[in-house]
Amino acid sequence: MDIRFEQAEARFEGRTVVHPLTLSLTERRIGVIGLNGSGKTTFARMINGLVLPAAGRVTVNGFDTVKDGDKVRGQAGFIFQNPQNQIILPILKEDIALGLKSRKLPKADTEKAVEAVLARFGIADLGERRAHELSGGELQLAALASVLVTRPDILIMDEPTNQLDLRNRGLVERTIHGLEENVIVISHDLGLIAGFDRILLFHEGRLAHDGVPAEVIARYHELAA
Amino acid sequence: MKTLYVEGDTFLHRLSPRPKLLGLAAVSLTLFLIHSPAVLSGAAILGGFVYASLRLGWRQSWLRLRPIVLTIAIVALFTLAFNGPHDALVAATRLTALAFFAAVVTATTSTGDFIDEITRLAMPLERLGVVKAADIGLSIGLVIRFVPEILSRYQAIRDAHRARGLRPKPLTLAVPLIILTLKNADEIAAAIDARGIRAQK
Amino acid sequence: MTTRDLVLAALFAAIIVALGLVPPIMLGFIPVPITAQSLGVMLAGVILGAKRGGFAVLLVLLLVAIGLPVLSGGRGGLATFASPTAGYLVGWFFAAVVTGYCSERFVDRSQTGIVQITGFFLAALLGGVVIDHALGVIYLAYVTGTGLSTAFIGDLSFIPGDVLKAMIAALAGRAVMVGYPLLPQRA
Repeated sequence: MDIRFEQAEARFEGRTVVHPLTLSLTERRIGVIGLNGSGKTTFARMINGLVLPAAGRVTVNGFDTVKDGDKVRGQAGFIFQNPQNQIILPILKEDIALGLKSRKLPKADTEKAVEAVLARFGIADLGERRAHELSGGELQLAALASVLVTRPDILIMDEPTNQLDLRNRGLVERTIHGLEENVIVISHDLGLIAGFDRILLFHEGRLAHDGVPAEVIARYHELAA
Repeated sequence: MKTLYVEGDTFLHRLSPRPKLLGLAAVSLTLFLIHSPAVLSGAAILGGFVYASLRLGWRQSWLRLRPIVLTIAIVALFTLAFNGPHDALVAATRLTALAFFAAVVTATTSTGDFIDEITRLAMPLERLGVVKAADIGLSIGLVIRFVPEILSRYQAIRDAHRARGLRPKPLTLAVPLIILTLKNADEIAAAIDARGIRAQK
Repeated sequence: MTTRDLVLAALFAAIIVALGLVPPIMLGFIPVPITAQSLGVMLAGVILGAKRGGFAVLLVLLLVAIGLPVLSGGRGGLATFASPTAGYLVGWFFAAVVTGYCSERFVDRSQTGIVQITGFFLAALLGGVVIDHALGVIYLAYVTGTGLSTAFIGDLSFIPGDVLKAMIAALAGRAVMVGYPLLPQRA
């Protein structure tokens, strides 16, 4: 994985949300923390091109988010906070197959890929179920399946456990730890990212600290006090 | 969501949507050009026979056709009062025939087949830049996906009203329902774009 | 159409479908039950504007056409387009577009509440009452062979209920604009 920010800056309605940032991300497990409004969410969305830099540039595995947005999004999947808002077709299997539609695979291959990814997350029996019948945790796993069925190199997750109850939170946490993909997680849940390789702390639109979990989390506590 | 499609293996079931829709259009046009109650009655009876051949049973058929039968009856009575028996009979038989033929197409065509056909028909519009054909199936899927969520939200809002001793009124129910539902639009749209579902092929 | 606009329209279409599942209300002084769905059509125009509101209603009509029982009372399928009241149904699309267009022109956030409500009310009236009923009456007259004036007499009893709905739509439009403004359309 090779994500690069080169003096990349994000603005919203005239205000700078992320000040010019230069860094390189290669670690397998990266956490992003910060207070609400610190810019961490915008930062995450700059990686997959949902937010484009007002200045500077962002590249993911060599692809520029402005010029090759589609390729960037092929490299990096994104999981959002609310489980309900990510499964968009009534039946789970159909939703997951949606990601493969652009590949125009024969129907049997699509079905196999869908079943394989459902099995990977232990929800093979939920394939024919309707989205609104499932719990938050099951939906987040389904969202993971829908995003990872295309086998992206990187997975970005924005507060993936925020809206889940304790049991579902544990379920999703365990799943995240077992992922082979490179994972970048934004989270208020410090327990989730405490074992990661590298943590980025954002504060007022700037990178306030960047390093191993122990020191960055300690710095975060100071800032939040 | 329950559909009005009925499983079966009749000739009409096996026929693809396009000839059925074209046939229905042709039949409708013809029915509007005929003004003889005798011919129209024949058409209505023919329509009835075709509908009966689907073997839905009396109860199912009545449940499906009741609203339109009642509407036709009221309209026919109305026409009788203002225009006399001839016009009333023409209106009644024409509309009944139309209803039967339309109901037959609906009962023998699955929603999936309809959506595929609409997507195919939208392709020329896509080339003109008016609409993206795949968006139609996606939009329909989105609606069906979120109706149950909205219903749950509606129940929750109504229950919250009752718990506070307020009588639920259209305004106080509709406004929070709409705001809470539409607020999800940004995240849903971001999720769709992040998965590249609407990306240019 | 941006993805956000598509999602907004689809969510609103889902709201209109959900409103069809709400039982009709009987108000003492009007002999016709008030169904919430045509209110939903006015709301689509007032809240989403012409393009998205029109698309939302178009989606509802598509769902009906493909055989889903989404109209109040569990009605659906192509037979509803064969009904003598089909003019009102197809008229919903034009009602939403006209209401939406007028809302975008008449109303903006800098106005006072009363002015906004009045603007939305006029928009809902023009679209949901004038245009929809005109199309409903024209088709009814054509399909029964009665004259326009005769068909209009049949239409009269439905007008008070729809005027009331236009008022509700106006009040709701203003409340939503305060809570979650979507007009004017942001890019």
